[in-house]
Amino acid sequence: MGFTSTDDMILQMTSNGKADSHILQKTLVAAGVAGHWQHLLTSPGNIPAATFGGAELTFIPTDNTWSEGAIPIADQTSPATKHLTAAGASIIAAAGAPWFVQFVDLVGYAKATTTNVSTTGTKAITMTPIAATASNVDRYPNGEGLRLCVAAIAAMGANAPTMQINYLNQAGAAKATLAGCVSTASATNGTILNSGNAANKYGPFLPLAAGDTGVSDIVSLVWGGTAHASGSVAVLLCKPLGMPVPLPATGLFNVFDYVNTLPSMPRLKNGANLTALVYNTAATTSGGTFFASLDYAYGG
Amino acid sequence: MGFNGVREWANAVDAGRVHLTTFRKTVASASTVANDFVDYTYFAGNPPANFYASAPLEAAQVESIRGIHLPDVDNQFIKSITAMSAAAGATNTTNQNQRHTLCDYLLYYPFVDTDAVGEQQDMIQTVSIPRYTSGQIMCVAQSASSAVGSFTVSYTNQDGVSGRTSQLTYTKVVSGGGTLVSSTTNAVSGSQPFLQLQAGDTEARSIESVTMVSAGGGLMALVIVKPLIHFVTTQECRRTTTGNLESYGAATYSESVIQRRPVEIKRGAVVGVVGLGNAGSLASSVLVGTLQTIWSN
Repeated sequence: MGFTSTDDMILQMTSNGKADSHILQKTLVAAGVAGHWQHLLTSPGNIPAATFGGAELTFIPTDNTWSEGAIPIADQTSPATKHLTAAGASIIAAAGAPWFVQFVDLVGYAKATTTNVSTTGTKAITMTPIAATASNVDRYPNGEGLRLCVAAIAAMGANAPTMQINYLNQAGAAKATLAGCVSTASATNGTILNSGNAANKYGPFLPLAAGDTGVSDIVSLVWGGTAHASGSVAVLLCKPLGMPVPLPATGLFNVFDYVNTLPSMPRLKNGANLTALVYNTAATTSGGTFFASLDYAYGG
Repeated sequence: MGFNGVREWANAVDAGRVHLTTFRKTVASASTVANDFVDYTYFAGNPPANFYASAPLEAAQVESIRGIHLPDVDNQFIKSITAMSAAAGATNTTNQNQRHTLCDYLLYYPFVDTDAVGEQQDMIQTVSIPRYTSGQIMCVAQSASSAVGSFTVSYTNQDGVSGRTSQLTYTKVVSGGGTLVSSTTNAVSGSQPFLQLQAGDTEARSIESVTMVSAGGGLMALVIVKPLIHFVTTQECRRTTTGNLESYGAATYSESVIQRRPVEIKRGAVVGVVGLGNAGSLASSVLVGTLQTIWSN
């Protein structure tokens, strides 16, 4: 259980020590593309850059024990529910401001490389559907609340094909993301390819079919039009956590109070693999520094 | 229906009934005038520009792709809006202090000739107003205009009474499309976002005709919108590049229920932003923001 009252939250944090903080630091691996969202997974720092290991076109679950690096979050078996109480972020870069930072729990990914990117058509993805067990991969039962995006995990080649993801929704029904969404040609490593500053670009997440509230299974990635000349991508399955943190200027550290929002205190599920997505209004300088602070507490 | 209480409102996010989207619009390079309203939908970015490009004087609905993307669901409400304004350059400060109105774009009549003095330009009613029964009328420049003209609009009011006549309204001299050309009713200075209607009327359902009293030297679209919520951006976001390198900027954030009333966005809404800056030209500045919505069962 969580907190029974504000008094209980104060008690748990001050008397019982059931609170902790973490810092996420990244050095941006490449320039951020103007008007695009960017993930930080391939950027070095603390935690280190991910390499997206695992088999091609196969869903790889990630949690906070992910071998490629994850923020450690307290006892992962505790029945006490953990909640974000505040989060802040800062970017230090000569260009790119203003930014937004959206924290997400990365539930898993499926990568596509070489000819699975440089050719069009349907790329079937192997995945055991998310269920409603106590397993970490099922931390959002039946995929409720999960969202999809297509992330560059290497520099992308020329051309901007269309992209669509076939998926099973939270009820297990076969659905597809909005048709017509286009990728970004020659995007830098880290770019969320479905986002952007033009028609048929949607960010940070691909629009789900009308009325859908989650994703339980990634069935396939469908490229149309003219394929990327090269590149590697990962379909990310994420749970957005809390409000986006706006960063108006370089060097400014902006903290968001998650206790006094509604709904308040986004829950960190057992196994949560916290990372962040960044929106670049202008082209963010390569090598810029990203910092985030995450405060959480738990009761019970 | 809406939400039955705090619990249901709060649970919507965990239940996945939430949508987050960004918008980024760059004002065109033509200068705008301090205290003139601009229609951000007219400018490039995401969503793409909305030039009101369809058959002249014929009623049309704005394509959904021209609006900020929203899920196609009922009972959807604004949960939060966050906005920032990026300066056109390292030393630009003229895009600070803007007021904004998020609007649902309902119906428009394009390419009204503001030079057609004395001629009654009749509108063609091919489609009717969607989602609401009436809204406010904006006058959006579709070209540069060289003179201060004046005009009246004949319309059907919120109760369905036709033949109503707006107050005499002045147009503005503008450098390009996208500026709202409706001035105050007694002078060419000052601005108002929406046309002043006949006494006693609150909104318009359709527009029958426009009569130019004096020439405005341009083209405009008459657009019926439903204002949803107001917000502001304050300091421009920029970084100096010489001398002491300094950064400036501010973000504004508003959250429904806690700070603002929850505002419904109707299913199929085409949502965009009308803004006004009071510090100078907004040319080439960038309005960027996030819009988060949630919906009930």
